[in-house]
This record gives sequence, C-alpha cells and structure tokens, in this order.
Amino acid sequence: MTMFHFFNCAILTFGPHAVYYSATPLSEYDTLGTSVKAALVYLGTALVKLVCLATFLQVSENDGFDPYQELLKALIGFIDVAGLYFALTQLTHRNISQNHKFQAVGLGWAFADSVLHRLAPLWVGARGLEFTWDYILQGLEANANLVLSISLAALGSLIWLRKNKPKTLIPIIYACAGIVATMPSITSSSFFPEAALLSPMKFRLPSSFVV
Amino acid sequence: MSGSAYGSRFTALNHHAASLHFPPSADLSRAVLIIPLRELNITFVRENGGNKQVHEKEQLKNLLAELEQLLIHANIPYPVYFAFENDEIDTVLADIKKNDAIGQPATATTGGYKLVIPTPEPKKVASPTITNIQGWLSGLKVDGDTNQLPTIAIVASYDTFGAAPALSVGSDSNGSGVVALLEIARLFCLLYSNPKTRGRYNLLFGLTSGGPYNYNGTQKWLRSFDQRLRESIDYAICLNSIGSWDNELWIHVSKPPENAYIKQIFEGFSNVAEELDIKVGLKHKKINISNPRVAWEHEQFSRLRVTAATLSEISTAPELLQGTGGLFDSRQFVNETAITRGVKLVAESLANLVPIGRECVDCGPMTSVSGLYQSNANLLDIRGKGPALVGWNWGNVWEHVWKELADHTDEVNMQHEVLEGVFTFYDSTSARLNIYQVASVTFDLLLLLVLGSYLIVLFSFLVITTRGLDDLISLFRRPPSRKVKTA
Repeated sequence: MTMFHFFNCAILTFGPHAVYYSATPLSEYDTLGTSVKAALVYLGTALVKLVCLATFLQVSENDGFDPYQELLKALIGFIDVAGLYFALTQLTHRNISQNHKFQAVGLGWAFADSVLHRLAPLWVGARGLEFTWDYILQGLEANANLVLSISLAALGSLIWLRKNKPKTLIPIIYACAGIVATMPSITSSSFFPEAALLSPMKFRLPSSFVV
Repeated sequence: MSGSAYGSRFTALNHHAASLHFPPSADLSRAVLIIPLRELNITFVRENGGNKQVHEKEQLKNLLAELEQLLIHANIPYPVYFAFENDEIDTVLADIKKNDAIGQPATATTGGYKLVIPTPEPKKVASPTITNIQGWLSGLKVDGDTNQLPTIAIVASYDTFGAAPALSVGSDSNGSGVVALLEIARLFCLLYSNPKTRGRYNLLFGLTSGGPYNYNGTQKWLRSFDQRLRESIDYAICLNSIGSWDNELWIHVSKPPENAYIKQIFEGFSNVAEELDIKVGLKHKKINISNPRVAWEHEQFSRLRVTAATLSEISTAPELLQGTGGLFDSRQFVNETAITRGVKLVAESLANLVPIGRECVDCGPMTSVSGLYQSNANLLDIRGKGPALVGWNWGNVWEHVWKELADHTDEVNMQHEVLEGVFTFYDSTSARLNIYQVASVTFDLLLLLVLGSYLIVLFSFLVITTRGLDDLISLFRRPPSRKVKTA
C-alpha cells in the first residue's frame, strides 16, 4: 500500500513533464536532446549556487531578518537566470524554432529541478507506513514549478533570442522576468531550494511510544 | 514450565488498532485492542482477548492481580503488552474510539492507526543464572571458649515475576524484605562494632534469588554451605513481604509448634510484639517432600534440617507464581511505617535471642530507626526502578545492595548458580511501540483516479492548444488501411 502511495506521488510530481513532452509538438521535432542539455545546465547551476551559499552565507544564531543576508540570497538567485541564459543561447541546438526551443529548455530545467529536490524525499518518505499530506503538496509544488520554469524560459528567450522586439514591451518584459526570477524565493518558506539538499529528512518521522 | 507453555510467547506486532467499543460482529483477528485498565472487564478478557495492550493505572490492585494470574496461567497465542498511559496514547485512543463508535470497521480499507512492534521472536535463555549474596557478621568470642559460635541467619529473597516481567518491580514482595534485611544488618553492625554490645551469635545475612521458582536459589545457597556452618545455624528468619500490613504479622513454620526451638522463637517475637502493639500469629504448614512446590523460603531450610521461620504479612501460603511481586506491586502500595515496625520487631527479638545488653539496645540505634532508615527508603525507590528476574537487569540496584551489605558486614560473598528445574525462560520482555497514522487503500485508489484524470485532461489541453483539436481526435482514429499500394 505504501508503494502505491509512492507511485501516486511520483506520477503527480513527474507525470506532467512527460505529458507536456508528448502532448506538444516537442515530441514531433525530437527536442529531447535540448531538454537533456538544459537539465545538465541546471545541475551545474545548482552546484554553483550551493558553493556560493556555503561560501558567502553566514549562519546567524538569531532568527532575525537580516537584510544583507536576504539581499545576498536574492543575488545568488540570479545565478539561476544566468544559467538559463547559458542554456538558451550558448548551447548549440539543432534547427528548431525559437518557439520550441524555450519550451524544451524550460521543460528540461523543471524536470531536473523536480528530480533533484523531490525525488529523494519521496523515495525515502512516501514508502513508510505513516501517511502525511506532504508528498502530495510536494507534487503540486512540482507542477507549479513546471509552469514557472517554462514561463521563465519564455521570457528569457524573448529577452535574448528575439532581436526585433516592439519597443514598448521591453520594460514590461524585463519587469516580468525580474519578478518571475525571484518568485521562488519570495513564495517558498525554505528560502532557497538548495537548503533541502542539506536537510534531507525535513519531513516528520513517525511518532513512537515506549512500551 | 515442565514442557507446557504459560503466558504469551509472541512479541512482534503489526496490526490495526481497535478499542473496546467495537460492534459485536467485528472481526478482531487482525486488530490490536487497546484497553485502558480502568475499563477492563475481566470476563471479557477470559472469553476473547485479541492482541492486547493494557494501560496501567492506580487503585486497581485487585483487578491487576486477577488479570495477572489469568495471564500467567493461560497459554496465550498472541502478544499482550502493558503500556504506560500518557497524553499521546490518550489522544490515539480517543480517535480510535470515535471511529469505532461510528461503526466503521477498522480494517485496512479505512483510516486509522497501525501499531507496530518490530521485535524478533523471543529466544530461550540457555542457562539463567541466579546470584545469591551473603554477608557475615562475627559474634563475640569469649576467651576460653573454643567452640564455634552459633549462627543466626536472616534471609530475604529478591526476585520477582509477573505477567509483564519488565514491569514487575515487587516493592512489597520482596523489596520490603530486602530493605528490612539491609536495615537490620546496619543496626547490628553498629551494635556489634562495640564489644560491649556484641552478641554471642554470628549473624549471616542472605539475599537469595529464585524466589518465585520454588526458592531454588535458597536451596543452592544452603547446599553450598560447609556442613559445620549449616549445623551451627540455630535459627533462620526469612523475611517475605512485610511492607503493607496494619497490625498483624504471621510467622510461618514447618516444624510443629510444640518444638522447643519454634516455641522459643515465637515467644521471643510475641513478647516484643506486645510492647510494639503488633499481633503476631503462628502458622504451621507441613512440608510434603514429594511435592516440589516450595511455598515459603523457610521450607528450604527445613528440608536441610535447619530450624527456620518466615515472617510475613501474608497469612496463607501463596500458590506457584502468586504473590511474586507483579504489576500491581509498586512503591505506592508499600507502607514505610509498616516496614519500620517490622524491622523493629525483628531487631528487638534478635537482640533478645542473641542476647545483647538491653540498656544499650534501647539507646542509640533503635530510637533513631526512622532517621537511619532514610538511606534505605531510597532503596525502595531504586527497587521500583529496577525489576529483577532471575538476577537480570540488576544494574545499579545490585551495586547499591552490595555496597550496603559490604559496609555493614565483615565479609560479603556472591554466589552464581544456574537455575535448575522445570522452568524455561524466554527473553524480550520490553519493546518499543510505534504507532503510525495510516491512510486507507481506498484513499490511494481515489488519489490514483484523480491523478489519472488530471493527467489526461492536461494532455488533451496541451494537444488542443498546440496542435489543434483535429490532432487529438486523430490519435484515436485508426490509420487507414494501405491495401491500395499493392495494386
């Protein structure tokens, strides 16, 4: 029964990626290579972010809101954006239209994100006896993250790949890009997803009683 | 025991929880019943009893005693656990009761709690060891007296047994006896340290093991004695459960009361008892040599022809595994003043028997018994924490006892033996209970359905928006046959 639950949560977390790939013309144009390359770029970006966090961030004893620390965290968040830029522009893709390129890159990005941050807790936790809502919430979060990544990639492609943009829309595009880039850090309680890597067992362990 | 199984020999638990308010037709075979002790109905236990977990509660001494006897003597094919009640278990139990009251059968298809105890099956203990501890106080040898001094032995057995051996602390039976013995040892050490108040008897203090098992330890201890030592023992006084009596104590003997020695002991005790306002009765129980059952410790002495008597608050001889300090025998049921009076009685009687100069007995130790008793009152508490089963689990209790005895006697010895006889012991007496809150299978099925429909909707949505509705329909249409080509 608990493997069943694990299976359920897994398809909630990773299903939409597969569905997106197969439903849209991405599968017709065989853009899997692009997605894989984007996933690898995401891994690299995550590593760089981790190193930066470890180097520059100090662990504060008091839980007060330190503006400089938060600013530093936001800046490190922009490494994300840099990674995406790299994936969109620098990698050599086959001849696929811009339209599909950003979708493929966004998909690969989101898939790598889900696997890195959600697979391990799912495997360890969802197979246990105790039932919690955490894993279902995590799956929903993965879905939202997919939408976020694809929109970020779209904005990114608009900024860097499209050469002839209507003048009036440029500031709007940049503003939207800025908001979307920092959205995860604003909304999520754990400020940076990298923290989850450092504390894998953040989900509640089963209560036990001594007999 | 003699090949037949007693009690429950199963330990692992992996079942759903249920409470006592189940509907009559419910299937209990895969459920664990959590029963708070105050709601326990003995007849229910007798008839059914699924896997049981019972909560401990005060003021239910009789209920617990009866339950224990039932559990010990029946052969139970499933695990029975006793747990302490705390807030967490209370909330779990309230939840389960609510569920049961609605009438939902608590099986795998509905929600609920699952209790898991992941212990391996209990193994036989190959050779259970019993440990006897003895302390020796030498009496005063008058110059010119070449004979060996006679000895008086004071004995108490310290082992307990109960339905839940890990919880059997046995504060009264026989923690009270052990404490009394140590206290008497201390008093007489004080008296004997002064040559003027030193008696002309040696004192031998013995803490024996194997009490519930026909006093096997006492038997081994006696057998290990030198012949001369055994013959030099004039009397042996055994202490058994003197912690919760009001004003009546019993002296149990196996030799007929007309015996001169017995008369002497009894008169000595009675005289002191009158002064202390205690009633002392004499009970005579003959030993049946062919019957292996040994109800009192003094019977082991009598079998080896040593005059002995047991001082106890119990008036009738206990049955096998009865009165061995079970679940209900905890600290709160022991009366400290009772033990103090018992100690006074024994010490004064001994002082008369030994004999020690009266004037020095009255002053000093006797009057401040309660003050000196404090250190041993702690022993009762420690006993409450450390149950003893055939000498296991003694830990720091044993060290304390050893130190006490070593401080107040001239010589302390320990004797390890193997428990023989018809008893076989199994380990695994305590375990850790895990309670999980689980969701039912139907929940997961429902979830699967929802997820499946979500993914299908997502798929269709994406196909329609990116490729057009025609493509979606074309997915379901079989490709047209290509028979035309062969022509």
